[in-house]
Amino acid sequence: MAASVPAAAEQYDYEIIKKFVVMAIVWAVVGMLVGVYIASELAWPFLNFDIPYITFGRFRPVHTGAVIFGFGGSALFATSYYVVQRTCQARLWGGGLVPFTFWGWQAIIVLAAISYVTGYSQGREYAEMEWPIDILIEIVWVCYMMIYIGTLMKRKQPHIYVANWFYLSFILATALLHTFNNLAVPVGLFTMKSYSLFSGVQDAMTQWWYGHNAVGFFLTAAFLGMMYYFVPKHAGRPVYSYRLSIVHFWALSFMYMWVGTHHLHWTALPDWASTLGATFSIMLLLPSWGGMINGIMTLSGAWDKLRTDYVMRFMIVALSFYGMSTFEGPLMSLKDVNALSHYTDWTVGHVHSGALGWVAMISFGSLYHMIPRLWNTKLFSDKLVGVHFWLATIGVLLYITAMWISGISQGLMWRAFDDFGNLQYSFVESVAAMHPFYAMRAIGGMFFLSGMCVMAYNAYRTIRQGVRAGVAGQTAAAAA
Amino acid sequence: MKLNSELLETNAGVLLVATMLAISVGGLVEIAPLFLIKNTVEDIPGVRPYTPLESRGRDIYVREGCYTCHSQMIRPFRDEQLRYGHYSLAAESKYDHPFQWGSKRTGPDLARVGGKYSNEWHVQHLIQPTSVVPESVMPNYPWLSATPLDYSDVADRLRALRTVGVPYSASEAEYQANVKQFGPEVAETLRIDKAQENLVAQAQAGNFDGDRAFVSEADALIAYLQVLGTMVDFSKLKPEDLVKYR
Amino acid sequence: MLSWLAQPENSKPLGLLIFFITFCLIVLWVYAGGKKRGEQMEAHKNIPFLDDDLDQEAKDKSNG
Repeated sequence: MAASVPAAAEQYDYEIIKKFVVMAIVWAVVGMLVGVYIASELAWPFLNFDIPYITFGRFRPVHTGAVIFGFGGSALFATSYYVVQRTCQARLWGGGLVPFTFWGWQAIIVLAAISYVTGYSQGREYAEMEWPIDILIEIVWVCYMMIYIGTLMKRKQPHIYVANWFYLSFILATALLHTFNNLAVPVGLFTMKSYSLFSGVQDAMTQWWYGHNAVGFFLTAAFLGMMYYFVPKHAGRPVYSYRLSIVHFWALSFMYMWVGTHHLHWTALPDWASTLGATFSIMLLLPSWGGMINGIMTLSGAWDKLRTDYVMRFMIVALSFYGMSTFEGPLMSLKDVNALSHYTDWTVGHVHSGALGWVAMISFGSLYHMIPRLWNTKLFSDKLVGVHFWLATIGVLLYITAMWISGISQGLMWRAFDDFGNLQYSFVESVAAMHPFYAMRAIGGMFFLSGMCVMAYNAYRTIRQGVRAGVAGQTAAAAA
Repeated sequence: MKLNSELLETNAGVLLVATMLAISVGGLVEIAPLFLIKNTVEDIPGVRPYTPLESRGRDIYVREGCYTCHSQMIRPFRDEQLRYGHYSLAAESKYDHPFQWGSKRTGPDLARVGGKYSNEWHVQHLIQPTSVVPESVMPNYPWLSATPLDYSDVADRLRALRTVGVPYSASEAEYQANVKQFGPEVAETLRIDKAQENLVAQAQAGNFDGDRAFVSEADALIAYLQVLGTMVDFSKLKPEDLVKYR
Repeated sequence: MLSWLAQPENSKPLGLLIFFITFCLIVLWVYAGGKKRGEQMEAHKNIPFLDDDLDQEAKDKSNG
């Protein structure tokens, strides 16, 4: 068996995947650290220290950028390159383009972070990067698309495995969304500042079409691709129903693009558009739960794995959070619920139950699965995976509980009337009332971050172990 | 049927096109009509482009990421009406590139904050929010009133805004059109050739930060905050007009 | 066509209609075609395990 391992490393391009895996972990630590910091700024505002570069407003896009595009993006590059090669039994196509996607992508994350703290922002949530960075993203993304499709074309396997479909729709949709949401006119060729092409209602519509589909395709479809490969692979059992996964794919791809307008209920956007968005949001529950059931049922008959295997646990808990968030989402898109939940911390909690519970957990599972295989060794410590699992789970639960309470109480305080028909609370009373929950949220974040640090340590030791064994093997071979 | 399925599963090109189609429908159906109905929200009296100073203030608002905690979109509910004022109309943000409706109210909505507080209050509040609102969790922004406003490229900025459709005037003909649409006083502030001059004049006349000689970033930001939501005179609008503008 | 879509009263039933037809077509396409086609499609779920011999720990390949 041992002799055939180098075969995998030779047949496939593993170097690029290793780089992305390492950076995914680095960005996760950095992004979550910034996240914990800005959460603490809300609880203890002195932490802003009157330093422009780290005020909440400038630091928040650094957090979202580092976790979504740095951690999430790197994890997606790594897993998609891994999955596409192994399910097509073909080496990555593209030659020099492949390392370019790595260096280009890392440069984007660093440049974006620097530009935010120095005050360059487009003022569009999750798309704050100014135009020069947007152009770089466009170039890297087109290369990524070419590599991915090129590899699919040279596959030895006639059928394209469903995980690749999800990755493909994520790549296409992201290209589409990024292009149209970032149309802007720069002030000058040598200035960072630009003004968006659209204004007001049209701009809001475009931004939330982007904003929600960034969630739909970047943070959902792509991670489902991850799920459809790594859950069956790690469980050692094929996915529960392949046909269900096909229905899941087409229904999700078709419907997600409609739902962005539910972010604009009760605004100046025409009513029909946001109602239509809500209608599709409700219907989206069907394919989402179909997919969740498909993933969880893959384990049917092998539930005992959950007791012993923490990597598997990460994946199954991720699927449970996927199910929960895709239930909560449609609920919040109902106009009456939205009237209460919009503008409050409930939205923040919802995003994090998806982002920490689903996206991060499924990535942890997949990374723990990949790392030993990439470096041809065993995980340094299974016990530390368990520690990470519990820290992460407790962290998410603290976080979303805090945000549920604060979100709903904000909503209720804002709309409360006294007996005389006057507003019962001033705005700042609601701010003061949130303090304990903001503190609790920051603590939840700290739990999650410390779990992440445990993972980073575990990964570091595993990789070092793999590299040393590799070097030892080579010297032994040379001596012989 | 069989041909159909085999084609999709085994041909990357076909899968690509089919996926592209599936993901394009939703966006097209929802976004395209908005560009067609654009004209129906166009002519609400009072709404005008920002003056050069207000526009620079808006840039600072975007730069500091104020939208991460403050919304600018009042919804048509009784409590919001009482707390913030009349619900926001689409036309009120028609010159907003980018829109700043926001998605989170860690702080209050700012769509109609204009005129609610004095300039002195704003200066004090920006320097140290807790000095006027003790429970506030907003960061201090003391550097705004200490940093001189860079207005050297304000004409370039207005030119870029003109390219995306804001009617700043670059020629006599455009100026005359603005006089017709907004009146001579406003039209004068929209002249790109006099942008710097107008900016300094407004900062000095308005004396937003309490120091007439020094044009600071706080001057611009406060000028912007003070105009938010004040352009439309709701006492002159009939309810049936509102239905039309909404 | 587009202006018809912009009518508020049409958007919800229209959205429902489009969704329902599409959903039926997808389900029909996936599940119709008899047992043989079903088995053919389900067979694809084993693709991730085709390269097991390359891994250091080839796992149980049973179809459970």
